[in-house]
Amino acid sequence: MSVVLEQTVSEPKGRVEDRRLLTGTGRFVDDLKMEGQAYMGIVRSMYAHARIKRIDLSTLRSSPDFIAALTGEDLLKEGVATVSQNQWPPQKPAKRYHLAVGKVRFVGEPVAAILVRRKIALEDLIEQVGVDYEPLPAVTTIEESKKGTTLVFEDWRDNVSQSADQKWGKAEDAIASAPNVIRAKLGIARQESVPMEPHSVLTRYDRGRDLYEVFATVQSVHGLREQLASELHVPEEKFHVKVMDMGGGFGSKGAQSYPEPLLACLFSRRTGLPVKWTATRTEEFLEAATGRDEYCDIAVACDKEGRLVALKANLECDAGVTGTQNHMSQLSMWTMLGGYRIPNVDVQLRVYATNKMPMGPVRGAGAPEGTYFIERAMTIMAEKIGIDPLELRRRNLAPRPGQWGAGGPAPGMELIDALVKESRYQELLKWKSEVNSRFARQGPSKSNVVAGLGVSFRSGGGADSGDWSEGSGESESGSGQWPTSEGEGAGDWRQSEAEGNPSPSWVDSRGEEATPTLDFTSEYARVTLDKSGRATVYTGSSPHGQGEETSFAQLASEELGTPLGDVSVVWGDTALVPAGIGTFGSRSAATGGSAVVDACRKIKSQLFGKVATVTGVDAKFLSIRKGRFSSTTQTQTPLPTLAEVMEMMGVTGVSAESYFRLSSIEYSGGAHLCVITLDPELGAVRVVKYLVVEDCGRMINKTIVEGQLHGGVLHAIGGSLFEKLAYDDQGNLLTSTMMDYCIPTAVDSPEVEVFHRGSPSTATLDGVKGVGESGTNVGYAAVMNAINDALAQVRPGARIDVAPATPEAISAAIATVS
Amino acid sequence: MSGKNVRAKADGLTEVSMKINGRAYRGEVEPRTLLVYFLRDELNLTGTHVGCDTGHCGACTVVMDGKAVKSCMVLAVRAKGAEILTVEGLAHDDRLHPVQVAFTENHGLQCGFCTPGLLLSTLTLLQRNPHPTEEEIRRGIEGNLCRCTGYVNVVRSIRAAADSMAKQEVRGRS
Amino acid sequence: MIPKKFDYYSPSSLQEAIRLLRQNGEAKVLAGGQSLLPLMKLRLAAPTALVDISRLAGLSYIRDEVDYLAIGALVTHDAVEHDGTVKDRFALINDAVARIGDQQVRNLGTIGGSVCHGDPAADLPTALLVAEARYVLEGEGGKRIVPAREFFVDIFTTAVGHDEILTELQIPHLPPGSGSAYTKHSLRESDFAIANVGTVVTVEGDGKTCKEARIGFGSAGPTPLRAASAEQYLRGRPLDEATIAEAAERATEGANPPSDVHGSREYRLKMIKVLTQRSLGLALSRAGLTGSAAEL
Repeated sequence: MSVVLEQTVSEPKGRVEDRRLLTGTGRFVDDLKMEGQAYMGIVRSMYAHARIKRIDLSTLRSSPDFIAALTGEDLLKEGVATVSQNQWPPQKPAKRYHLAVGKVRFVGEPVAAILVRRKIALEDLIEQVGVDYEPLPAVTTIEESKKGTTLVFEDWRDNVSQSADQKWGKAEDAIASAPNVIRAKLGIARQESVPMEPHSVLTRYDRGRDLYEVFATVQSVHGLREQLASELHVPEEKFHVKVMDMGGGFGSKGAQSYPEPLLACLFSRRTGLPVKWTATRTEEFLEAATGRDEYCDIAVACDKEGRLVALKANLECDAGVTGTQNHMSQLSMWTMLGGYRIPNVDVQLRVYATNKMPMGPVRGAGAPEGTYFIERAMTIMAEKIGIDPLELRRRNLAPRPGQWGAGGPAPGMELIDALVKESRYQELLKWKSEVNSRFARQGPSKSNVVAGLGVSFRSGGGADSGDWSEGSGESESGSGQWPTSEGEGAGDWRQSEAEGNPSPSWVDSRGEEATPTLDFTSEYARVTLDKSGRATVYTGSSPHGQGEETSFAQLASEELGTPLGDVSVVWGDTALVPAGIGTFGSRSAATGGSAVVDACRKIKSQLFGKVATVTGVDAKFLSIRKGRFSSTTQTQTPLPTLAEVMEMMGVTGVSAESYFRLSSIEYSGGAHLCVITLDPELGAVRVVKYLVVEDCGRMINKTIVEGQLHGGVLHAIGGSLFEKLAYDDQGNLLTSTMMDYCIPTAVDSPEVEVFHRGSPSTATLDGVKGVGESGTNVGYAAVMNAINDALAQVRPGARIDVAPATPEAISAAIATVS
Repeated sequence: MSGKNVRAKADGLTEVSMKINGRAYRGEVEPRTLLVYFLRDELNLTGTHVGCDTGHCGACTVVMDGKAVKSCMVLAVRAKGAEILTVEGLAHDDRLHPVQVAFTENHGLQCGFCTPGLLLSTLTLLQRNPHPTEEEIRRGIEGNLCRCTGYVNVVRSIRAAADSMAKQEVRGRS
Repeated sequence: MIPKKFDYYSPSSLQEAIRLLRQNGEAKVLAGGQSLLPLMKLRLAAPTALVDISRLAGLSYIRDEVDYLAIGALVTHDAVEHDGTVKDRFALINDAVARIGDQQVRNLGTIGGSVCHGDPAADLPTALLVAEARYVLEGEGGKRIVPAREFFVDIFTTAVGHDEILTELQIPHLPPGSGSAYTKHSLRESDFAIANVGTVVTVEGDGKTCKEARIGFGSAGPTPLRAASAEQYLRGRPLDEATIAEAAERATEGANPPSDVHGSREYRLKMIKVLTQRSLGLALSRAGLTGSAAEL
C-alpha cells in the first residue's frame, strides 16, 4: 500500500539558501579573499608515464613574482604521507605522493607546485618551470593493463587493483541447458562529474597558535580534516576546515584526497601567507576523480516463461592510478545482482590500474553501471523471448524487493504498474508504431525518424550497516569480500538487524552517550532551542545544491513547532560542527535528517520531562508549538511557556546531540521510461519524453526531490549520448575542455516528469529514502534501451551496448549489420 | 567609443572606467585582464562566476550595453565606458527582481553557481522576447550550462518570469 | 585561462588601425573576440599585440545595393540573424548564423571576425563560400575586392594581408528562382560541425530543371570547398530525389575530412552526403520563395 505522505509542515515556496545565491552574495571558495594572499599554481605532467629526470626552477626563481616552490622531494623531506586510500573494499595500496616522486603516472599529475604574488602572472610562471622526462611506455587500456608488460606501480606484480567475485549455484551449467540465453558486451566509457564550480582552496596558517584555517570545495569538511591530519601527521584539532557555498560536487569533491589542499597548507606553513588556488577547467578535467569506465561481458539465461535462471558476467574497470574511494565497481556488481531473483550467479570483477587520472565516486558511484548492465540485459532478453520488457521485469522481481532494508520500499511491481499508467504506455506504443510505420513506408528520406522506447528499473534498498566494515582477504588473491550470500538464492544474502525500529542514538556498553565513530551509515546533528523558541541545527551534512539548509529546517520546524523562519541550519565548519560524514551517496536526508529529528526529539524529551514534573501531565500527551506547550488531555493548571520552563530549568536554551546510525540505509527505487527519436542517417538522437516513477518514501520537500531527479536523469542522458573522456595511445587526454567533453545544454534536454509512489522508510526517523543519485542510477539503461529499440526499426540486429551512443557510434552500429 | 587612440603596453597597467549596476567604477588593469576577473578580483563583485576556460559554460554572463555577453570573453579594456549589469544589480533596495522571484519560486536553482549568468541571460531574453516558446527559452539559455537542475525547473522559472513581467508591464501601463 | 601578455591598441580610425598593423608584425586584429580570445586563453595563440577595431565607426551596416547585399564587417551574428533581408533572400546565411555558438557568442561575434578567423569547421565560411561573397579589404594602398573562391587560403589563413582589414562583405543577389540552405551536423546544437553543407539551387522557369547548383562544405579540408563535380552533374538536370541523391554521392569529391575525437573521416564523408541531400532538398523547397518574377 503506498501513499504520498501529507506534510505536517508544508514546504516553503523557495529555499532558504536561494536569496543569497540569486543576488550574487553567496560565498564560494574562489569568492573569498584574505589580505596578502598568494597564489598557488601546479606544474603538471605532460606524459602518461615517465621518469622525472630533472625539475628546473632556476628561471622561475629569478622572477619578482616568485615566492616559493615545492616538489615531490620536498614532500618526502617533510615526511608527508602517500595519497590516502580507503581499504573498503580492499584494494592494493597504490603508493604515490601528491607531487610525483621519481615517476609520473598520468597526464596532468602534479609534478611541482609554485607560489606567486600576483594571480595574473601565475600561468606565465608555471610555464617557466622546466621538467625533463624520460618517457616510459604508457598503459592506456584495460587490455594493456591485463598484459602486465608495463606495471603502473612497480611494487605490484601485476596491474590488478581489486578482484572480487560473487558465486552461487551453478551458473555455467544452468546457462548451457536454458532455453533462452542472451549475451552482450556492455559498458560505459570514462566520464566525469563536471560540477560547474571547479575545485578551489584557500588556506592560512597561524604560526602563533599552530593552526591551519582551510576553506575548500569539499563535500565533507570532516573528511578533509581527517585526510590532512593523516597525510601531514598533524593532529586533527589543528585544522579548521570550512566550506560555505559550493557549486556542485557529484562525487568529485567527496573525500578524494587531492593534492591542492595539502600543498596549500604546506605553503602557508612555510611562508606565513594565505594561499589561494582555483583549478582551471582544463585542470578539473585532468585531475578530478573520474567514474564509469566499466565493461561487462554478460550472459543471462531464462526459462521458457522468462524467469531468470542464471547470470554469468565478467566485469572490468579501468581505475586509472586508482583512487581514494574504491567501492564503485563492487557496488556495480552488487547492484547488478540485487533486484531480481537469480538462482545461479557467477560474477568475476577485476579492477585495473592504468596511466590515467584516479577513479572516484561519480554520481551513482557504481550503481548506474550495475543498473545499466542488468537492465540492458533484461531488455535484450525480453526482445529475444518476444515479451514486453516491463512484463519481463514483473516476472522476475525478487520476492522481497530490495531484500535488505528494514523499511520495505514500495514493491517494485507497483513502480512498474505506475510507470505503465502514468506514461499511458499503450498510447505511447501506438504512437511509436505510427512513427515507425511511416519510416518503414517512406524510408529515411525527408529526414524521417524512428522512435524507440526504453525502460529501466531499480528496486529500492540499501545495505545493512553491520556488514559494511567487514572486508577481508587480500585483493591480490582475488577474493575481495563484499558481504556474500550463504548460497540460498538472491533473496537472503544480507541480514538486517533491525526489524522495523530505527536504532536509537549510539550508546556505549555502559549505557552512556559517548562519541562514536561515524561512518557511511551515520551522521551527526546538534540542535539548540533557545527560550524565545529559535532553533539552530548543526549538521554534519554538507549541502551543495541539495537543499538541506531548507529541508533540515523543515524537519526541525516540524519537530519543535518552531516557525521555519526561526530555524537556521549550520554546516561546513569543523569548529562549529564537531563531527560529520558529509553529503554524498544519497544519504544526507536519510541519515543527516534522522540525526536532526533525533536531536529534536531528545530536546523535547528534556522539555516534556520538566513540564511533566511540574504539571503532573504525562509527557506522552504533550506537544510544543511556537514556544507554547499543549496537552491532548485536560489539565488543571495552565501549561508553562517554553521560556518559563527554561527558567525553571535554570537555562537559557536546551540542546541535544545525535550521532545517528541507521540499521539499514534506504535508497529510493525507480522505474524510468525514456522515449527517443532517432534520425538514422545522422545517427542523431533526441529525447522527446522522459518519465520517472520513484519511491523515496516520505518527501520532506517534494520540489527539492523532483529537482534532484531532474538533474540526475540529465546526468544519465549526457552520459548515454555525449560524454566521454577520450585518450590517444600515448595517454594524452583529448577531451580536456568543455568544447570537447560535452555535457547537455538546455537545448539537448527533455522535459522530465516525475511521479511518486511510496511508503516511508522505517529505518530513518524522517521516513526518507535517499534520492540524490537515483535519477542517474536508473537513467542510463532507459536511454540506451530506447536507442536500441529505435535501432531495431532501422536495422534488425543492430545494437549499441556501450555508452555514450554518439551519432557516429549509432551510425556504425547500423552499418555493421548488413 | 572612438575618438581617442588608446594604447596600453603589455607590461603596464591601463586605467579603465565603466558603469556597473548604475555606479561608476574605475580601476587599473593589464591589457590581458579579462572583464570577469576585473569584476571579481579588482571590484569584489564576486557574484559573476568562472566555470570554464573556453567560453562555454556561461557562468560569467553579464549584460554589457544591453546584451548578454560572457565576461570571460571580453577584455576589461574593451569594456571601457560600457554600461554593465551584473547579478548584484538585479535586486533594488532589497526587493528581488521578478526574474529572481520566479527562480526561487520555481526551484530554478540548486547549487547556485550557474545562476547569476542564467538570470542575466533570462533577463535579456525576456526583454527582447516577452513571450518566448519553450524552444525559444531553451535556445536563449543554450550558452548557460547547468549540471544540477536538468533545466526542467529553469525553463519553468523563465516562463513564470515572463508571465509576471508581462503582468507588471500591463499594470505599469494601466 | 589567462592569455600571454600583449600590447593593446584601440585606434579611433580605420587608417590608424591599418598603420598599427603595418608597424607591428605580430599584431592581430580583435573584433568580437569570440574566436580569438578562447585560443589566447588556452595559450594556443599568443599575438604580442592586439588592434581592437570593435568600436570603429562605419563598419556596422546592412545595405541593399543594386546587385548585392553589403554587410559591414563588424555586424554581429545576432544582427545578421535578425535582419529581414538576409532571412528572405539569403536563407543559408540566416541558417548559418543561427547555428553559431549561443546567444552570448552571437551578441559579440562579428561576421568579419568569423570569416577572417578562417576556421573550416565554422559556419559562416562555408555559407559565404556558397553565397559567393566578395570581400572588401582595405590597406594603406587602398581597397581591393577578393572574390569568394580566393578568400580562404588554408586552415586559419585567409587572403587578408597582415596590414589589411576586412571592411565589408558583398553578397551578390541570388538569381530569380533560387533557394538556399545551410545544414550542420554536430553533437550538440552549439558545437562545431562534424559536417556542414551549404547549397544554393536555381531553378528554370519550368520549376524543376536545375539552372545552377552550388554546393559547399566545411570540416573536410583546410578551407571550405565547393563540390564542383556534384554541381556540374546537376546543371541542366531535373531536380528530384534521384538526381539529388546522385549529387550527394558526388559531393565528397575533393573532401578530405580529419579523423579526431569528434568524428572519423569515414563518418564525416558519409555525413557530407546526407547533409548535401538535405540541404539541396531544403533549398529546392525554398526556391519558390525567392527571386520571384515580380522582383525583376
